[in-house]
Amino acid sequence: MVAQKITIEPVTRIEGHAKVTIHMKEDGNVEHAYFHVNEFRGFEKFCEGRMVFEMPLITPRICGICPVSHHLAAAKAADEVMGTPPPRPAVLLRDLMHMGQVIQSHGMHFFELAGPDLILGFDTDPAIRNVVGLIQANAELTLKAVNLRKFGQQIIEFVSGRRIHPTFAVPGGVNKALSAEDRGKIQAGIDEAIKTTQIGLSIMKDWAEKNRADIERFAVLKSGYFGLVTPNNGLELYDGNIRLVDQEGKQLECFDGRNYLDYIAEHVEPWSYLKFPYYKKLGWPQGVYRVGPLGRLNASDRIETPLAQEEMKLWKSLNGGKPVENTLYYHLARLIETLFAIERVAALLDDPDILSTDILNTRTDFKGEGVGVIEAPRGTLFHHYWANDKGQLTRVNLIVATGHNNWAMSEAVDSVAKTYINGKPVTEGLLNRVEAAIRAHDPCLSCSTHAVGQMPLEIEFYDPQGSLIRTLSRNIA
Amino acid sequence: MAATIIIGYGNPDRQDDGAAWHILAGLAKRLGQKVPRWPEEVFDLSGENTDLLFTLQLTPELADTISHYERVCFVDAHTGSVPQDLNITALQPHFQTSPFTHHMTPETCLMLVDSIYHARPASLLVSVRGYQFGFSHDLSEKTQVLVNQAIETILAWLG
Repeated sequence: MVAQKITIEPVTRIEGHAKVTIHMKEDGNVEHAYFHVNEFRGFEKFCEGRMVFEMPLITPRICGICPVSHHLAAAKAADEVMGTPPPRPAVLLRDLMHMGQVIQSHGMHFFELAGPDLILGFDTDPAIRNVVGLIQANAELTLKAVNLRKFGQQIIEFVSGRRIHPTFAVPGGVNKALSAEDRGKIQAGIDEAIKTTQIGLSIMKDWAEKNRADIERFAVLKSGYFGLVTPNNGLELYDGNIRLVDQEGKQLECFDGRNYLDYIAEHVEPWSYLKFPYYKKLGWPQGVYRVGPLGRLNASDRIETPLAQEEMKLWKSLNGGKPVENTLYYHLARLIETLFAIERVAALLDDPDILSTDILNTRTDFKGEGVGVIEAPRGTLFHHYWANDKGQLTRVNLIVATGHNNWAMSEAVDSVAKTYINGKPVTEGLLNRVEAAIRAHDPCLSCSTHAVGQMPLEIEFYDPQGSLIRTLSRNIA
Repeated sequence: MAATIIIGYGNPDRQDDGAAWHILAGLAKRLGQKVPRWPEEVFDLSGENTDLLFTLQLTPELADTISHYERVCFVDAHTGSVPQDLNITALQPHFQTSPFTHHMTPETCLMLVDSIYHARPASLLVSVRGYQFGFSHDLSEKTQVLVNQAIETILAWLG
C-alpha cells in the first residue's frame, strides 16, 4: 500500500470550518492525523472602534450555540473597563442565566449528540445511530431530554426576558429584576430536571462499565487541567480564580483571570488557523492543558452542591485520585456539571437577594482595560478589552474554549486514528470514532450563519505525490 | 391557537442569511399582525389563523411547539448548493445528522415532532438564495427580490 492522506472535511458553514486529515504510512497504519479549525474570522478586529457598553450586545452574535457565555463574559469585561462592579443581586441573576445556558447546552450534547454513540454504539448503522434510534430505544427518555434542554432555555428567557440576542447584562449589572412569578416557574421544573440528569448519569455509568476497554484506549491523554474554582477549590462556572493543575493533579497555579497573559501563551502550527494556548512556564508542548467539563472537574477538588458532590467522589475515584485522562469521560463530566448547574439554580432561587431590584451600579470609575472570564459550557472563555478615555475599544482579545482544547482535539483525533485504523479498511464506524474524538469536546464550530444544503463528509486518499486516488463521502445535513 | 405556524431561522446580522426574518416581517404586515422592529422583538403568537416565530437556529424543544399546529412552514436562506433561487420543498420527517454541532434541520425537527409527540403537521420549506453574507442587516438586491416572491408564495400556501 502506498502512503496516503485521508481528509475528513465537513463543509457547511460560511463561518466555522473544520476538517481532519489523516496521513497514512505505506504499511496502512496512520503516520499522523490533524484537526484543522478556522473560526472567528476577524471578529476581534470587527469590534475595534465600538463602544465598550455595546460589547454584551455584539459578542453574543459570534455564536448561536453559546451566546449567553459571550454576553456575560463581555459584561464582566465591560464592568472592569468602566469600573462598575455589579451589586450582588445582579451577580446572582447573571449566574442564574449562565446556569440555564449550561443546562441547555450540556443536556443537548449528551442526549442528542453523544447519546446515540453511547447508547446505540459507535458501529451501529448510522441510519439508526441518532435521535430516531434513541426514541425507538427509549421514547420516554428522549422526551425528558428535550424537556431538560427546554428547562435550561426557559431559565434564560425568564431571567433575561429574551429568547435571542440578550440585552440583559450591562456594565454594572443587569437591566431586569426577576419576578416572584418567574422564580416560581423555574422552581417548578427543578425536580424533573434533576431526575432526567440522574437518568443520564445512570446510562453513562452503565455504558462505561460495559465499554471499559474502549474507554481505556480511546484518546487517553496526559495534560494539565484548567478552570475556574471557588475559594475552596470547588467547581465554579461563573466567577472565581483560575486553577491550573498538572497531569498528576498537583496545583501549578491559582490566579486571577485578569492576569491570564502572565500564564498563557499561544503556539502556532502552520496547518491550523486556530492557535494552541499553553501554560507559559512549562512551555510548548509541555504546558498543554485541557478545559471544559473534564478539565474543570480535574482542576477542582470538590463540588459545593450535595448531589453533584456525590458524583464528584466517584469521579475522583476513577483514576485513584489523580486526574481522569480518558477523553470519553468528558461525557460523564458533562452530566455531573449539569447536575451541579441545576442544584445551583435551586440555591440561587432560594437566595433572599434573587428578587431584589438593586441590580445596577451606575457609579463609574473608568479603568480603560478589563478582562471578563467565564466557564462557557465547553471551557474557559476570556474577553479582554482595551478602551480609550471615551470608552471606545482600541483592542480586543478573545480566547475561546475551542481554542484552549485545540491541542486536546488534535491529539485525540491522532490517537483515535492510530488506535482504530491499524491497516484496516476505513469504515463508517471508524469515521464515526474520529468524529467522536472531536465531539467529546463539544467544540463550538458552528458560528453565526447557516444555509440549507448538504454537508459532505469526505475522506480523500492521496498518494505520496499528492494526487487524489480515492474519495469516500457521505452526505449529512 | 392558530392552525398554522411559520418558523423562520437564520442570522439577521449576516445580511442574506437573515432573509427569513425579512420574510416573516413582510408576512406579518400582509397578515395585519404586529411587525417587530428588529429580530430581538418577538412576533405575537396570537394570530387567528397563522402564528409567526423567528429563531436563530432550530432546536429540539421547537418540536413541542410544532406539535400543536396542523401546518408548519419553515423559512430559511440557502447558498448556491441548492439550484433554485426560490426553493419550495414539501418536507417529511427524516433524521439528518450534524456531527459536530448543535444545529438541527427542519426534517429532523419534524422527526422529533412525529416520534415524540406523534404529530405530523403538513410541512413546507421555503428558502431563498443568499448572495451576500457580510456584517449587515440589509439584504442584497437579488435576495430582496426573492424575499418578495417568497412572501407571495407563502401567502398562496396559507390560502
